[in-house]
Amino acid sequence: MKLNIEGLLVYFPYDYIYPEQYSYMLELKRTLDAKGHGVLEMPSGTGKTISLLSLIVAYQRAFPLDVTKLIYCSRTVPEIEKVVEELRKLMEFYAKETGERNNFLALALSSRKNLCIHPEVSSLRFGKEVDGKCHSLTASYIRAQRHVNPNQPVCRFYEEFDAVGRQVPLPAGIYNLDDLKDFGRRKGWCPYYLARYAILHANIVVYSYHYLLDPKIADLVSKELAKKSVVVFDEAHNIDNVCIDSMSVNITRRTLDRCQNNVDTLQNTIQKIKETDAAKLREEYRRLVEGLKEANVARETDIYLSNPVLPDEILKEAVPGTIRTAEHFVGFLRRFLEYLKSRLRVHHVVQESAPQFLKDIFDKVCIDRKPLRFCAERLQSLLRTLEIADIADFSAVTLISNFATLVSTYSQGFTIIIEPFEDRTPTIANPVLHFSCMDPSIAIKPVFQRFQSVIITSGTLSPLDIYPRILDFRPVTMASFTMTLARTCLCPLIVGRGNDQVALSSKFETREDFAVIRNYGNLLLEMSAVVPDGIVAFFTSYVYMENIVASWYEQGILENIQRNKLIFIETQDAAETSMALEKYQEACENGRGAILLSVARGKVSEGIDFVHHFGRAVIMFGVPYVYTQSRILKARLEYLRDQFQIRENDFLTFDAMRHAAQCVGRAIRGKTDYGLMIFADKRYARADKRGKLPRWIQEHINDGSLNLTVDETVQLSKHFLRQMAQPFRQEDQLGLSLLTLEQLESEEMLQKITQIAHQT
Amino acid sequence: PTEPFALIICINPRLMRHLFVVIDCSRSMEDQDLKPNRLTSTLKLMEAFIDGYFDQNPISQVGIITTKNKRAEKLTDLAGNPKKHIAMLKKAVDTVCVGEPSLYNSLKLAIQTLKHMPGHTSREILIILSSLTTCDPANIYEMTKTLKSLNVRVSIIGLSAEVRVCTVLTRETGGSYHVILDESHFKELLMLHVKPPPTSSSSECSLIRMGFPQHTIGSLADQDAKPAFSMSHLDSSSGPSLGGYFCPQCHSNYTELPVECKVCGLTLVSAPHLARSFHHLFPLDAFIESPVEEHQRNGYDFCQACQGELKDKSIFTCPSCRSVFCVECDLFIHDSLHCCPSCIHSQTAS
Repeated sequence: MKLNIEGLLVYFPYDYIYPEQYSYMLELKRTLDAKGHGVLEMPSGTGKTISLLSLIVAYQRAFPLDVTKLIYCSRTVPEIEKVVEELRKLMEFYAKETGERNNFLALALSSRKNLCIHPEVSSLRFGKEVDGKCHSLTASYIRAQRHVNPNQPVCRFYEEFDAVGRQVPLPAGIYNLDDLKDFGRRKGWCPYYLARYAILHANIVVYSYHYLLDPKIADLVSKELAKKSVVVFDEAHNIDNVCIDSMSVNITRRTLDRCQNNVDTLQNTIQKIKETDAAKLREEYRRLVEGLKEANVARETDIYLSNPVLPDEILKEAVPGTIRTAEHFVGFLRRFLEYLKSRLRVHHVVQESAPQFLKDIFDKVCIDRKPLRFCAERLQSLLRTLEIADIADFSAVTLISNFATLVSTYSQGFTIIIEPFEDRTPTIANPVLHFSCMDPSIAIKPVFQRFQSVIITSGTLSPLDIYPRILDFRPVTMASFTMTLARTCLCPLIVGRGNDQVALSSKFETREDFAVIRNYGNLLLEMSAVVPDGIVAFFTSYVYMENIVASWYEQGILENIQRNKLIFIETQDAAETSMALEKYQEACENGRGAILLSVARGKVSEGIDFVHHFGRAVIMFGVPYVYTQSRILKARLEYLRDQFQIRENDFLTFDAMRHAAQCVGRAIRGKTDYGLMIFADKRYARADKRGKLPRWIQEHINDGSLNLTVDETVQLSKHFLRQMAQPFRQEDQLGLSLLTLEQLESEEMLQKITQIAHQT
Repeated sequence: PTEPFALIICINPRLMRHLFVVIDCSRSMEDQDLKPNRLTSTLKLMEAFIDGYFDQNPISQVGIITTKNKRAEKLTDLAGNPKKHIAMLKKAVDTVCVGEPSLYNSLKLAIQTLKHMPGHTSREILIILSSLTTCDPANIYEMTKTLKSLNVRVSIIGLSAEVRVCTVLTRETGGSYHVILDESHFKELLMLHVKPPPTSSSSECSLIRMGFPQHTIGSLADQDAKPAFSMSHLDSSSGPSLGGYFCPQCHSNYTELPVECKVCGLTLVSAPHLARSFHHLFPLDAFIESPVEEHQRNGYDFCQACQGELKDKSIFTCPSCRSVFCVECDLFIHDSLHCCPSCIHSQTAS
């Protein structure tokens, strides 16, 4: 259908539209009009992606000068592929309606591992190996050597691309990862470099968060993207953690040992080169004198392990004399390494700020701040000069040098914590140096500054106002949309008490309480008898889950549950978990019924959808607070309080509730789906917790669903499941939660739609 | 007195049904959300169902299977006598409900019998499932394929919630799947299955022989009367009788119709039985409703059927014979008789 959204003609590739989609597009258009940033929350399964794409594509066509590019960031490869498929549908609709081939270019970009077509390289299992092998075939000096020595193996796909691939732009169309590979095979071009080149003139780019947020990659891939782009972060409820992770470094004793080996190798190689080809080192020295800018003239294949964000002014400066010659630099690295080793030999926890660390390192081993800042860049230059092919081996020394550069560049927003042992195993020495970022806005700031519109969207972003605060930006629109429903297909229930009136809670004091554990087991047992097919239960942590499951086993509860359903458990091992997941789905499919015990913040809670019968109920045992005793967290909380005036408790609750919402949201993936959401902790009934749930869940919590006992929950569930099992057809939705064009344009509906968006 | 005679009749699956009812007797049937518990309530409704079923499909057959403890057992075999089924259902009230049901085993047991049924009859399975899980020895989706190839229609009434495997099973075999809300809804859903399901046009029709024995009442005074044992009661202790229905082919004696002759295998029915079965295929036209005053002017004051005075506001006229009926008789004719008595009367008279 064709929609008119405040004067903009939007092609929407479906015959029906949800009211909230219309409302969403309206808000989105206003954001683009204002050339500002937006935070939009809309429940999953209501067609967020297609709304976004339809509107932004229409906008691009209408105002080609205002918005030149859409950068769509998603989290995982399957999600990226899904977006591309939706886009393909949209473009087919355009072609059908307008009758002309439009010259839109849209493509997905992923890592070498997903795009490589070189027969040997692509058969490697790990991303790092693929990157390393690729580098050893395509680095500029390898290719230069080939002129001398024709037997030197190179990647023929890259050679071919380099020779002709850049002259003709990629033909217009929609390319997912497989399309790119097919195209590459046909032409004999490397799809990865082709895609990286093509994103510069593509209209739509779909790739992972890291290409924008992780400074190590962003600089390479996204540097030249136009300012007039619209950036969309989908499923962005965890964006602050992604930002923080991309800026943090953890150093263990093992890293240092490997680093030591690296440095030795460097030393030997330098020695060798000195004997054979001293001119090369002199040449490098000359370049360094002239400044990094020169050294940094990017040959795209060389810089895949690039430096963390360096302020521009550094690049203009010359590398300080102390580390200019190769030997001096290696010596410098050794000193730095020895210093780190000595720091790891502590017996108590040390926490200090970056300036303190710098002062200490100056006092102890006389390392200045300035050479530290150049460390990463200097190492890259050295590795290039030494013509070391397999860079993957040097990840340890690269990590250390990145750390050196980061610690000397940022004085604010970071903290250094050295722990001699893990909290859980206080007898085993396992020292770790955490260099942890506390301010997510550092990583995302360049994105906000550079692009005219950044849209942050997800199914669970409540409370909306906290994201602008922790990411430090000013949005022009903040809106939360509800799900209009023809039938109430979600049923949130808050269980506060067991049948024996014992208060249910996962809080620390009652964690070991026998009565609470028994009642939790009872709840699961009772639910397993009334809920069909699949139940997903979430615990607050692996340790808590292990304790509870062990105790259920002793009490014989597990045995009783197994009479109703099979039990599968998520573990920290990825292979084991995916196996459990597969069997779980099989059991749901063939009528045996199954329970999946998993952990909030785990893999299952974030990435796996439990549509229809795969998740008829989600039970959240306890409130998933983060492990509050962690020093990194404490430091971050302190920082948030000092810098952003966010109280510790507010942030912790916000964080716990967004994970709880993520977990329970797994069960409902659309309007024809239905599911129970059971919050098994009396603390959920409190207004401060409840108020932080997304609006589309909160709406359905009434006084009758608070502080229930297990029996009451079972009765309500039974009733709900019977109601939901009654036939439900598309006609029932029409006019209420599903609209045709005529229905949409009626006066009354437009009035209703304005109420869907909840501005904050 | 006319001679008993045999006729060849075109039969299609809606006339002759073969239905297996599978009753879940697993642990979950002890749940008390239906009063007094699910099992008792189900069995009671089943009695009503059996009655209704034979009322509407007199020449059809039904069999009952129970499933519990991962096994399936036949409670009654496929047969046309409602009394036997009801007696067994009454007995089944004391069944102990244990373990899980097995859909696979129940279906397997049912098709063992159903697959031998001729193609001009319908093959149906109705499952009343209380449990949310099934314990199967093999992949149930293979069984679905078998059922589909044998043209067996599986319908399910769920007592607790929607289960995925049931949705797939019923969708693939063309059956219906419903979940009850409460006891009255349960009854409503069960009674839906009394009427034969719509069949696809491709289903085969065939001609079969049927006998229409007439009931004779013999008296001892009659010299021609030959006392005979009723074939259906040979096992019981009742003595020989003079009257009854005599098979037109072999003259075996039966006390009740419809029945399949135990001697020569002929299906014995009476005309109203067939009419009742036929009405699903050829429903009786609705009578025309009109205000009562019009007719009183014309001198019709009495209902053609009950001969009572027409007192209600409206009357009903049969479109073919123009006879007039009152409201109650109209209901009775359409719900139970399925043929207009006045039409039949005029046919026999001519």
